[in-house]
Amino acid sequence: MKDLFVALLGKPFGIVIFQLLEATQFTVYLSLIAFVGGGLIASAIALARISGKPGWQRFASGYIWLFQSIPLLMLLFLSGLGVPRLLGQDVNPWVSAIVSLTLYSSAYLSEVWRGAIQAIPRGQWEGGYALGMRFLPILRTIVLPQAIRLALAPTVGFSVQIIKGTSLAYIIGFHDLMNLGKRWANAPVDGTEPFVIYPLMALIYFSLCFPLSRFALVLERRLGSYSKGPQITAA
Amino acid sequence: MMFDLRFFEIYRNADFLWRLAEGAYLSITLSVAAALVGLLAASLLAVARYAEVPVLKHIAAVYVEVIRNTPLIVQLFFVAFGLPLLLGYQWPFWAHAALGLTLNFSAYFAEILRSGLVAIPKGQIEAATALGLKPHLRFIKVIFPQVFANVYPSLTSQFIFLFLTTGVISEIGVEDLTHAGVFIDSRTFRSFEVFITLTVAYVAIALFFKGCMLAIDRHCFGWKAR
Repeated sequence: MKDLFVALLGKPFGIVIFQLLEATQFTVYLSLIAFVGGGLIASAIALARISGKPGWQRFASGYIWLFQSIPLLMLLFLSGLGVPRLLGQDVNPWVSAIVSLTLYSSAYLSEVWRGAIQAIPRGQWEGGYALGMRFLPILRTIVLPQAIRLALAPTVGFSVQIIKGTSLAYIIGFHDLMNLGKRWANAPVDGTEPFVIYPLMALIYFSLCFPLSRFALVLERRLGSYSKGPQITAA
Repeated sequence: MMFDLRFFEIYRNADFLWRLAEGAYLSITLSVAAALVGLLAASLLAVARYAEVPVLKHIAAVYVEVIRNTPLIVQLFFVAFGLPLLLGYQWPFWAHAALGLTLNFSAYFAEILRSGLVAIPKGQIEAATALGLKPHLRFIKVIFPQVFANVYPSLTSQFIFLFLTTGVISEIGVEDLTHAGVFIDSRTFRSFEVFITLTVAYVAIALFFKGCMLAIDRHCFGWKAR
C-alpha cells in the first residue's frame, strides 16, 4: 500500500499522504466510539428529561447545561491531565479522549433528542393514556417512531461536530490525523511545509464531514426537523 | 485513596492571578472583535448567496462549507503557520488568532443570517424596490433590521458556543485564558485544580456574555414581541 503511494506521488509526498490517511482511521474510530457512547448516555438523559419526575428532570437539565457549557478543550485537559495527576496514575490517551468526547456528545445529543420528543404534540401522549397505556409503551410505540424522523437530520448533523471535535484530542497525546499532520508540518522536510500539510488535512477532514453535512440536509428536506434554521454548534 | 486539592497554590500567587486576568481579557476582546468583524463579513456572504450575485455566490458557498466542515484548529494552524510562510509576512500571534477566528465566526454567522434572509417574505424586498430604494439601501434599511431581530437569539447562542472553542488559540502561542492555565499547570503541576479554575472562568465569561446579549436584545429589539 505504502509503496503504491510512493510510486504514484514521489518520495516525501507519497509517504506523507499514506501516513495521513493511515492516521485518519483513528479519527474515525474515536468519532464512532464517541457517537455511540454519547448516544447511549444521551438516551438515558433524554428519557430522564422527559420523564415528568422533577428530581430526574432537574438532574438531566443540569447535566445537559453543565456539559454544554464546559469547553471540549477543558474536558480534554481535565480527563487527560487533571484527573490522572489527581489520582497519581497514568491514563491512556484513548481513555481520556473517549471519556471527554463521549461526555461532550452526550450533552448535545440528549438536547437534540429531547427537542425532537417534545416537538411531538401532547395529544399523542394523551391519546395513549386514554387507551390505558403506560409511559414507556406510549413512548416506544407512539412517540418515538414520530420523533426519530425529526431527530435524524440534526443527529447526523451533530456527528460532524464530533469529527471536528476529535481534532483537539492531540492535545493530550492522542495519535490521530491532527497529531500526525502537526508533526509533519513541523518536520524540516521539503514538500511538507505548513501551507501544504494543513490544507491537505483540511481536505481529509472536509471529505469526512461534508458528505455527512449534505446527508443531514437531505434528511431535513425529506423528513423535516423539529428545529428551523442551521444547527447551532461549533468546534 | 486520598485526594489532595490545593487550589490555594493558584489563588495565593499574585503572578498567576494576574496572568489569568490578562488571559481572560485577551480571550474576551479577541472573541468580541472577531465576532463583530465576522458578523460584517457574514452579512456580505449571506447577501451574496441570497441575491445570487453571479460568481460571488459560489465563492461564498464554498467558503462557508469549507469552514463549517473543517476543524477550527486546522484553520488556525494554516492561518498562523501556513499563510505567513507562503506570503512572506510576520504578524504578532494575536493578529493571526484574530484573523483565524474572524474567518471561522463569519462562516457560522453567514449560515444563520442566510436562513434569516430566506425567511423574510419576498413582499418586503418588492415593497422596498417599489419605493425606489437603491439595492444596498433595501438591505440596510428594510431587510437586515428584520433579519437581525429574527435571528438574534440564534446568533447569540452561536457566539457563545464559538467563544467556548476559542481556547485553541493558545495552541498558536496566543497568551489567552487557556495559555495562562497551561503556564500555571507547568509551574505547579496542580493540573486538576488549574483546569477546574479555567472551566469555571470560561463558564462565568459565557454567562457574562449571555447577560450582555440579553441586555442588548432588550435595548435594540425591544420593539419586537417575542
